[in-house]
Amino acid sequence: MAAISEEMVLLLALIALTILLSMGVLLTRDNFFSAMYMSATLIMVASIYAFFGIQPLFILIIFIFVGVTGIVTVALAATFRSEPEKASPGFWGPLALTTALIVAISLSTSLRHHPESGMGAIQFELGGFLGNPGYILLIISLTSLGILLMLSVLKMIGGVNECR
Amino acid sequence: MQIDALTLSALYIASFVLLLIGYLTVISSKDLIRVLISLELMFGGVFLSLIPLFTSLPNPAFGIALISIFTSSSELLVLIAAIIIFDRKNKSLSTGLVRVGGERT
Repeated sequence: MAAISEEMVLLLALIALTILLSMGVLLTRDNFFSAMYMSATLIMVASIYAFFGIQPLFILIIFIFVGVTGIVTVALAATFRSEPEKASPGFWGPLALTTALIVAISLSTSLRHHPESGMGAIQFELGGFLGNPGYILLIISLTSLGILLMLSVLKMIGGVNECR
Repeated sequence: MQIDALTLSALYIASFVLLLIGYLTVISSKDLIRVLISLELMFGGVFLSLIPLFTSLPNPAFGIALISIFTSSSELLVLIAAIIIFDRKNKSLSTGLVRVGGERT
């Protein structure tokens, strides 16, 4: 059996930490701590991206997902703090079994029929991405979408004065 | 780092486990904030599953990741606004108060 490299050990440690933190979301009874665990899980997901050398996505996930939605969720959970409830996930057995089956079948099929797909080194450069005008248009469209949605949300809530 | 079969398996398994934990959190949740938290967790699982795509198609993979991040965060912010409106109307965030779209009492 081939020896596991140091990089692989580090990746497995990152993945284990991510799963442990996400278990915290499931098992904690207080929404505030649940939101904190969720933010920590997303930071670990971003760290896995950084581990593979995709720093632009690390920054995007940290800024947008943890910095905006994550912090707003933590603030919401802290504001609407209710009595902690007992977390009792039902049906976990069939769900876990189904997940394990899907993972096993998809991995074995993928590795048997397309052994080289999804394998190799990651060579992503932000300069190459931004050099394509199509992707610039994509970024502008997504930014416009974000602005329009935020304006709609402000209208839904009742305007800026209502938010004060 | 080179992505081999073991790395690929570890990434996909982690992604599926995050999704499973998100689903279990939704099932066990009794208020809307917990539903929001579990949705964000599930998006984390989706982001993890995108990493292998960077080996063969780095630029389209980054584009897909950008679309996922923007649309999911916009969706979550709209959901946050909906939760605030729901609380104003019902003075509660219990999932028991949520009715199906056209349902009338």
